[in-house]
Amino acid sequence: MTSVVKLEKEEVINGCEAVARAVMLADVDVIATYPIRPYTEVMDIVQKQIADGQMDAELIHAESEHSQFEIAKHASACGARSFAGSSGTGWLYGTEAIVITATDRLPVVAMVGNRSLDDPGAFGVEHNDALIDRDIGWMLVWVDSQQEALDTTLIAYRVAEDPSVMLPCAVATDGAFLTHSTALVRVPDKSLVDKFLPPYNLGNRVLHPDNPVSVAPQVDQDWVMELRKQNDEAMKRSKGVIRKAYAEFYEIFKRGDPQSPFIEEYMTDGADYVLVGMGTLSSPVKVAVRKLREKGEKVGFVRVRWFRPFPAEDLRKSLAKFKAVGVVDRDYSFGSPNYGGILYNEVRSTLYSLPNRPSVICLISGLGGREVSADNAVEMFRAVEQAYKKNNMDVEAKWIGLRE
Amino acid sequence: MSEQAQVSSVKNVEFHYRGIIQKLLAKKTCRDILLAARSEGKVGVTYGRYGDAPERDGVPSKYFSVMAGHDQELEAELTKYAADNVNISIVPDDTMIKGVEPWAWHGILPIHQALKENGFMIVVSNRSPQELLKHIAKRDRPYKLCIIRGEASFAGLWVYNDDLTEERVLGAIAKVAPEIYTINALEKLFADRSHAEQRMAAARDAYDNCLVMEVGPGMGSDWYHPEIIKPKWWEMPEGIMVPGVPYGQRNPQFKRWTNRTVRPIVDFDKCIKCTLCWIECPDGAFDVTKDGYYPVNYEYCSGCGICSRVCPIKGCIEMVDELVFPDLNEHYGSWKSNREEYSKWIRQKKEEAGMVV
Repeated sequence: MTSVVKLEKEEVINGCEAVARAVMLADVDVIATYPIRPYTEVMDIVQKQIADGQMDAELIHAESEHSQFEIAKHASACGARSFAGSSGTGWLYGTEAIVITATDRLPVVAMVGNRSLDDPGAFGVEHNDALIDRDIGWMLVWVDSQQEALDTTLIAYRVAEDPSVMLPCAVATDGAFLTHSTALVRVPDKSLVDKFLPPYNLGNRVLHPDNPVSVAPQVDQDWVMELRKQNDEAMKRSKGVIRKAYAEFYEIFKRGDPQSPFIEEYMTDGADYVLVGMGTLSSPVKVAVRKLREKGEKVGFVRVRWFRPFPAEDLRKSLAKFKAVGVVDRDYSFGSPNYGGILYNEVRSTLYSLPNRPSVICLISGLGGREVSADNAVEMFRAVEQAYKKNNMDVEAKWIGLRE
Repeated sequence: MSEQAQVSSVKNVEFHYRGIIQKLLAKKTCRDILLAARSEGKVGVTYGRYGDAPERDGVPSKYFSVMAGHDQELEAELTKYAADNVNISIVPDDTMIKGVEPWAWHGILPIHQALKENGFMIVVSNRSPQELLKHIAKRDRPYKLCIIRGEASFAGLWVYNDDLTEERVLGAIAKVAPEIYTINALEKLFADRSHAEQRMAAARDAYDNCLVMEVGPGMGSDWYHPEIIKPKWWEMPEGIMVPGVPYGQRNPQFKRWTNRTVRPIVDFDKCIKCTLCWIECPDGAFDVTKDGYYPVNYEYCSGCGICSRVCPIKGCIEMVDELVFPDLNEHYGSWKSNREEYSKWIRQKKEEAGMVV
């Protein structure tokens, strides 16, 4: 324990700086950049780290997000550890290259500084940008603190580059609340990170004059299904690798949640009603849980860290214990079942196979970066309880914090 | 009779065509086959299938016309990706009889791979059945070879070559398969079109004069192209990665010779070793010998003719009809062993191909 403390330095940094520190510590070779708030600050800090001689990397400033992700993808194919990132509509503009990164099985790590999609222009957080890529073979992980942003970026490289996985990974950080708020963050020494993160090795797939290979030629209907199956299996295998990575991370840094890397359960013992959500809304919900627990109410919170691979087994085990669940979506999926959000429909379908499944409702909140207050969270618990008591769970999503 | 009721009313016509240069011919002929059959009460669809992203100059491709007596039988037939048991197979360019690679990565397949037992293969050719059978693979099931006299009809992607090839093919079908449509159906089909009489005369000429020959089991040439076995998902390299071919070797999965209607013949006596053919060949089909010559590898040459156009020496590289050559062997060795014989051989091949020598 003492040795870890000595090898770590406490800094007051925001979420962007925390990710930039991780990029430095992971000794990333190629960073592709294009500005869009809130991601922009990661780019700024990485540039400064390079300019200050703190890290040695090739930083390529692209003319668009599309080129940015093409650069990261190609660098990764050449055996360079690569990093990119974006937010909101910029992340979507990179989509073609982002999709190919996954289908070509290149372990790029990217930061999504979650931002609402245009229009209207808004800097605030919504999760729809990263969730656009939920189906195409990117691993997606949400963090709720600056420390977790740093740690998870390191873990993302460890998992993505595992030879049995080789899938890209996006670290989703809530815009403004996390990206632009500072906190006390323990920044480890590179010697510790080196123990955790082996060098990137693409093996015989590397694009190099000494290793002539073709990547992604045109194929036809006789080949595509087999290739999709390979992605499917890699995503399945990633679950075991994530568990192992959190255990190893804990061994070295004495931090994190090695027992439960995929979900965080907060005060769920004996709970009747729980909320489920991702990212920084954990803090108002946790405040509300403590408040209600003080009054003797049996409530709790389950935070989903990894959205892809989706922790179906963990959630079944956890949520089966409760009477009713409210899924808080900081996203929307217009026209979806019960007009709910994306997380809601994933959680609900996950629970379908349980013999005694809890009831589930959807609570849409905090869109466009709107504050989710502790009172909003209390309101959510009330909505869950009420729906359960009225035995009316198959209701349309409730919008919490909406002026009406 | 119950047995009678089980007989399928489905009729499949397969149209082999060369990508781009016969695309309109294929599309138009297959539609007109269906229109003719429709006028005699059938229902049907036509569809194209191609393998090479999506099709390029000369790449063997397929178009189909599928007809049936009623909708449900037709629907059942259309659950297949492509018809695999065709009544009639049309080959509008006789150089395709050597074999085709209709779908990329499938390997080279015999021209009659999908033809039913006793089905008809209609070939547009000026050659005799015996000459054609030197190049057509043997098979166990008998079939019938039907020849319509003529040259292969080539055009462009947007240009239709209205040289009555289509009408002659339609006439031959009426002859060999009146159960699909009769010759009378073509009268109706052409009635509203320009030059209706000429079209009908061409159809009737093929109807009256096409040559039909039974091809028994075992008749034809030996087939020596390996079968491609497609790997299981876990046998394939991950990351859509194809290992490169070591220097000096060629990729066995990218043989593009079935694109070819003519092949370049190099008269090594005239070669000045300028390297232009080798440099300009888009398929890298030229080998390099120790003494600085550039023989063609005929498994990889797609017959584009660029080498013959960039060669600065008159008569050094000339494009010659593919069907006067029995195999894909290189020619450099025979030139090395006997230059005089080689010179005679070139002359003879050009004569066989009908070129002025």
